[in-house]
Amino acid sequence: MSFLVARDLRKTYGPVTALADIGLDVEEGEFVTLLGPSGSGKTTLLMAIAGFTRPDSGTISLAGRDITGVEPEDRDFGFVFQGYALFPHMSVADNIAFPLKVRKWDRARVDARVEEMLGTVGLADLARRKPRELSGGQQQRVAIARALAFHPKILLLDEPLSALDRTLRETMQRELKRLHRQTGVTFLYVTHDQEEAIAMSDRIAVFQKGRIVQVGAPRDLYYAPSTRFVAGFLGVNNLVDARLVRGADGAVEIEALGARVALPPGKVADLPEGPATVFMRPEDIALEPTPGEPALAIAGTVADVSFVGSFDLVVIEPRGGPEITAHLPADRTRALPVGAPITVFVRADAIGVVPNT
Amino acid sequence: MSAPALHAAPRRRESTPLGRAVAKVFAVGLPWLLLGFLFLPVLVLVPVALTDREYLSLPEHGLSLQHFASLTEWETGWLPSMMTSLVIAAIATVVSVSAAAAYALGAWALTGWWPSLTRVMLLAPLIVPPIIYAVGIFKLWARFSMIDTYPGVIIVHVVLCLPFAILAIGASLAQLDPRLIQAARSLGARPPTVFYKVILPNVTPGIAAGAVFAFVTSWDEITVTLFITSRAVETLPRRIFTGIADSVDPALAAISAVLLAVTLLALAARTFWFDRSQSP
Repeated sequence: MSFLVARDLRKTYGPVTALADIGLDVEEGEFVTLLGPSGSGKTTLLMAIAGFTRPDSGTISLAGRDITGVEPEDRDFGFVFQGYALFPHMSVADNIAFPLKVRKWDRARVDARVEEMLGTVGLADLARRKPRELSGGQQQRVAIARALAFHPKILLLDEPLSALDRTLRETMQRELKRLHRQTGVTFLYVTHDQEEAIAMSDRIAVFQKGRIVQVGAPRDLYYAPSTRFVAGFLGVNNLVDARLVRGADGAVEIEALGARVALPPGKVADLPEGPATVFMRPEDIALEPTPGEPALAIAGTVADVSFVGSFDLVVIEPRGGPEITAHLPADRTRALPVGAPITVFVRADAIGVVPNT
Repeated sequence: MSAPALHAAPRRRESTPLGRAVAKVFAVGLPWLLLGFLFLPVLVLVPVALTDREYLSLPEHGLSLQHFASLTEWETGWLPSMMTSLVIAAIATVVSVSAAAAYALGAWALTGWWPSLTRVMLLAPLIVPPIIYAVGIFKLWARFSMIDTYPGVIIVHVVLCLPFAILAIGASLAQLDPRLIQAARSLGARPPTVFYKVILPNVTPGIAAGAVFAFVTSWDEITVTLFITSRAVETLPRRIFTGIADSVDPALAAISAVLLAVTLLALAARTFWFDRSQSP
């Protein structure tokens, strides 16, 4: 049995269903991210695990023990809040010492642990400062140090990086990964930022309308999304309506954007014939077919070209469908004025197929 | 407002020197006029309090402290009415601040429609004209035989003090993140610890400010008190009011001068301490 187990969790607020029969298993020491758009239920699940929200039905258990009815103060879970929620009247050191004093640690042990945590998050010089005298990133570190100081069984983090600017966010992502490795504590992380989720997590649970639609390692979700929603939410993706055609000998063909290609065997074993959704990543779209490999040839016109750096972002208007974006080498796009006809190729094995709904 | 209109306004004002002169007269003159009307009557009390005569007048042959001395005599009635005001103000402050703190904390920690609605109800005493409240409460207290009793006056003062206490405590809570409670609980703190170690230290300045406002409100209250008291409960403002109506005792000026001195001292102390505690 897993370390943290949520079973059949249900929570409604009036007519709104925040959690619809959620089930989630987290192993000890894992870094699991709850990912989804706002209002999809990810924060409600985190609050239920923390004990601040009582689910209408279902159970939460930790190491085999049912903790559904346990008060938050008795759960021993660290919690890092979106606005940090540091105690404004206490110094940095006193903030970190708070959970230890509450647990009646003796003075010497508290002091040693506070110093250790200050060192871990790199704030040893700022121990005597008040939270309002710190930058956002520093406050964040204090909040993390405070939540980790008492050796929590799990660390819950609610969009902790959303208030920071982009460069600081990337630094803090690496910092959090380091802290996770270093402490071995189980991290349960809520975010709506898919890049953040992909960069940090061992596993990601994708939320949609109060349900978990897919759980898996970032790579699995990225390359093998199970629904159109997951395919669209993880990474930039071209989603295109298509038709699946099964031949008599087990061959499968896909028809999209006015073109047709045979898919490698076994790619879409469980999908029926008929309408489906195809996804193609911008980096998999090329100006030439790879020799010896079947490819979907999409003919259209250039709608826009923008310079991004290592490649150009080209928007193509295919003859038979919605716009798609492609990452093309910058030295080749000079010959592509807006309005020019173009044909691009997508290798058959780079094409993903998911059900339409 | 459109952009051209915004630009046009200052140009028109600059272009007429007469308009500028008039504006200057008002900008400089009005505050001085106000100061004059406010402080001259107050300051004139000081020489009057030092008069050597037996009626309200400016000193004629020399200065005298006899009227200050008379304040300290129990029989003249000044000390008893001061005690009455002090007791009423102290009780009204403790009751109204406790109630206001409990209410403000509840409204802060909980969400929903009720805090904003009840807040308007509790701030109503600020809106209702005191004279109307006075007439109403007079009729009500007459029915319950509460006229001229301590509980009657204290209840009225608590009602009048509440909005000030709520505003002061609410202002200090408004800057506080309600998630502090959740943060403290997630760190293992039980409700008493959350209250005494996390919330209370952050609202103490607000509670102190609320207490000062409440005390001053009660100490100073005259309109409603005048209607619901007669002989048994005589607060200091009431004693001064009746004093000026039916006597010309210069002790009136003396008590006013004392109150003025206390106010100035309190103001100076506040400025001194506040400025000190603000700078690190």
